[in-house]
Amino acid sequence: MSKKFDISNIAKLASVSLSDDEKQKLSSDLSVILEHVQALSNLELDTNIEDVYIHPLEKELVLDEDIEKPSLTHDEALSNAPKASDGKFMVPPSLE
Amino acid sequence: MELLNLSIRELNKLFVNKKAKPSELYSEIFDRSASSEAALHAHLSLFEETNLEKAKNSDERFSNSENVGLLDGIPLAIKDNINIKNEKTTCSSKMLSNFVSPYNATVISKLDTEQAIYTGKTNLDEFAMGSSTENSAFGLTRNPWNTDYVPGGSSGGSAASVASRSSIAALGSDTGGSIRQPASFCGLVGFKPTYGTVSRYGLVAFASSLDQIGPISKSVDDARIIYSSISGHDSLDSTSINDEQIDLPFDKNATIGIVKELMEDGISEESKKEVDKVIDILKQKGYNIKEVSLPLIKLSISIYYLIAPAECSANLARFDGVRYGLRVDGKTSYEMMENTRAEGFGDEVKRRILLGTYALSAGYYDEYYGKALRARKKMVDEFSSIFKECDYLISPTTPTEAFKAGEKTSNPLEMYMSDLCTIPANLAGLPAISIPTGLSSNNLPLGVQIMSKPLTDNSLLNFSEMLEKELDFNRTPEDWSK
Repeated sequence: MSKKFDISNIAKLASVSLSDDEKQKLSSDLSVILEHVQALSNLELDTNIEDVYIHPLEKELVLDEDIEKPSLTHDEALSNAPKASDGKFMVPPSLE
Repeated sequence: MELLNLSIRELNKLFVNKKAKPSELYSEIFDRSASSEAALHAHLSLFEETNLEKAKNSDERFSNSENVGLLDGIPLAIKDNINIKNEKTTCSSKMLSNFVSPYNATVISKLDTEQAIYTGKTNLDEFAMGSSTENSAFGLTRNPWNTDYVPGGSSGGSAASVASRSSIAALGSDTGGSIRQPASFCGLVGFKPTYGTVSRYGLVAFASSLDQIGPISKSVDDARIIYSSISGHDSLDSTSINDEQIDLPFDKNATIGIVKELMEDGISEESKKEVDKVIDILKQKGYNIKEVSLPLIKLSISIYYLIAPAECSANLARFDGVRYGLRVDGKTSYEMMENTRAEGFGDEVKRRILLGTYALSAGYYDEYYGKALRARKKMVDEFSSIFKECDYLISPTTPTEAFKAGEKTSNPLEMYMSDLCTIPANLAGLPAISIPTGLSSNNLPLGVQIMSKPLTDNSLLNFSEMLEKELDFNRTPEDWSK
């Protein structure tokens, strides 16, 4: 397993801006954790990833029928929005 | 009458026989939490007014013999990552400090049907990520047995609330031990049910394949009553299951396995002694005892700290400053999201999001997340094979007693190691319980963990109750309010 990583790139992928101090501290923490999980690299596994279930009891995930049901009202859905107007969530422009 | 130390069944009997009223209990509970809160900080909010009204309604029902069931009028504390309609759900995060839930979690709807009363919302490590409740953005919770020590985490507020008798019992959530570890640190029972038997709908997701809601209580019977109320299939949770419980023997015909790997290095002598004490009791009662080996348990921290952060990084992507929670402005939507997440998340949450993002990123997926998933599958297989020989597995709940506040905050890996004994049950979806067994030389509680195969929750509770009677722990913290 590789331990090299680019903290700025990971932060960008995770949409979190980090200060220089945070980058240094988190890089060092992640190195220690990745060093620890390195233990898995020597493990011989005959299981294929296709045979792995996300449900620990190896159950298929069950989805509801695609039928309209009572849900949050429009106002309830917007009740916690940091900025809403005219029944819509408001966000800054996507392009400068 | 001092009602705070009584069990749910004892309280119900007093209410039914009109020897006490739910509103009297609620007043006692509220006086207790008001006096202990400054020392402990178990709660993020207390619901005095609204719930006193509910307690009076409960008085009426008992007076007219129209009471609903065992939980009618019983004050429960709720971990603040479980949604109660029209109340704040902060997850102890600046990200959600003003979030008011527009809906009830399924567990709350179920408790409402039984007319349970809520004392308030309890403190936790931010988004349930931690083992000490020190990662809360709103200040740490302290252990009622000794306030220099942590109550455990992430459901540390729930455990401190019950241990200080500020609630009769509480709901917590357990992703890697977050119910069992604080229960053990605070001298209580903590039960993580079989994955899928309790709906996660309305629990703010941390790691969806591991999260499970369950009770923290003074006794196994209280845990059973709450589990029986909150469990059941829910179509609002795609991982909810509808399978029948399986019965295991819990008398001396049961076979008990001692997990070898959880009695070795990294486990304190005091924690091991508690297991030995339980084994001696079981031997005297004629149970079959054997040592069993689950080699992959040694790798469970490595497996967990790839899977849980990977799922967390996906689940917490929803906190983007658009639909709810904190927003910190930026010139573009993207800048706004980055600024919001930088300001809203604390250090541990950032650490896990970054770790998970890395484990899922192109080029590393197979090496990290894929490998962890495959190792998890192998661990599930190891457990299945051991459960052909054993009905119950016994281990310490925690490698040590509670640690001091601040002792592990600068070393994340050392903090993660405190979940060594509890993580395997989450990875394999097993029911697991911690019951208190005794006190350490520092006068802090210790406990043992019992695990059993999936869907044997009721048998596990019965077996644990038998042990609870034999152990007769029956101790309460004395100095919490001084």
